[in-house]
Amino acid sequence: MTGTIRNTIDCTTTVTTDCDSARHATSARSMCLFLAEYGVWLLGSGATCIRLEKNMKRIAASADMEVEITIMPRHLHLTVWSKNHRNIFTTVATVKNCPISFYVNSRLSTMSWEIADGRLSIADAYRQIDSMVKSDSQNPWILLLLVAIANAAFCRLFEGDFIAMGVVAVATASGYFMKINLLRHHVDVRVMMILCAFVSTVIGATDYLFSLGTTPMQAVGTSVLYLVPGIPFLNSFSDMLYRHYICAFSRFMDAVVLTGCLSIGLCLGMWLMRIGMF
Amino acid sequence: MLLQILQDGLFAAIAAIGFAAISRPPKSAYLYCAIIAAVGHSARFLLMSPACGVNILGATAIAAFIVGLLSVWLAPKAKIPPETCLFPSLLPMIPGMYAYRAFGGLALCLTGSSEATFSHDFYLFASNGLTCLFILLVMVIGATIPIFLFRRRSFTATR
Repeated sequence: MTGTIRNTIDCTTTVTTDCDSARHATSARSMCLFLAEYGVWLLGSGATCIRLEKNMKRIAASADMEVEITIMPRHLHLTVWSKNHRNIFTTVATVKNCPISFYVNSRLSTMSWEIADGRLSIADAYRQIDSMVKSDSQNPWILLLLVAIANAAFCRLFEGDFIAMGVVAVATASGYFMKINLLRHHVDVRVMMILCAFVSTVIGATDYLFSLGTTPMQAVGTSVLYLVPGIPFLNSFSDMLYRHYICAFSRFMDAVVLTGCLSIGLCLGMWLMRIGMF
Repeated sequence: MLLQILQDGLFAAIAAIGFAAISRPPKSAYLYCAIIAAVGHSARFLLMSPACGVNILGATAIAAFIVGLLSVWLAPKAKIPPETCLFPSLLPMIPGMYAYRAFGGLALCLTGSSEATFSHDFYLFASNGLTCLFILLVMVIGATIPIFLFRRRSFTATR
């Protein structure tokens, strides 16, 4: 946890003498640090800002405390205080740079209710976050297969024929295989998008090049759709509706940059294969 | 027509499962994602068919509203937040082609030589870009209205 929390500012300057206040001082500090850890994982896993706010306020309220959160694109700034305003703790934490995971998102949301209902202590919740994050793994080969089939089905939705679906499945599997390996070698995600889109486009264009089927343009067009950052786009507009404009803009720009990289790879592939986009 | 609607729903369900897998939902969410995506996408298909004649923005908004309603209704049964099945179910409706065609139009704008070519390329960029943006906007508005309407159910689904 300490790795994520870059800076902690203890604002409990009002010295408390009675036991009750001392208990609150400890609680405000531990609650704030827990909420920071909780929040950076929840935001990193792709939760919307409104969910983050609601869950964190629910957890704080369960200990008779209040929390104010400033949600920045890459940082969370939290202040937790007890109801008597005598103990305040502030911390800043860096949002986890992890893949979007609705599994973590769902488990953390469930955890907030377990804490609120008194079924889970903060100490146990800490341990659960650790184990939850460690258990959040996927078999990359099954994922590759699912994505390839999904993109082939997507090609069909765009009225591609069965040959186009087969070509798209191969193009997607090749691109996704490359994505897995590039991310394993910590290649920048934008470079990864360009390369994967390029490979998928070139393979997708074989339908056009060898006149395999009757819908070659559908094959080329849909072969890169698995790379479109759909969840960041949806999250950005959802944050915008709840007036979290900074996060909304940040997520939107992230998604636009990734789509731009995808388009560069697609254009390069189409240029190489002498295919026009329009 | 019925066969086409069923086929659209089937392929949308397959697409939703695969694309949902990228964002790692809990195992219990896959079935709900597939059902919701199938209903939502086939509703959009029906609305956009010549029989109904609704344009892509209206059809997407109505389909997203249906997807939102189903997500809010089904989420407590699976003990997951509505977004867990809502967002993956919307993925087959994401206007990915419009998005990268907008970038393609932009790239052509930069390489065009005459005013007429530039105007045409800028039209491609603007029309695809605006269509993409507004599809996303109406999609999220349509899907979020049920969460607003049933706020208590939405935010207590994981309890």
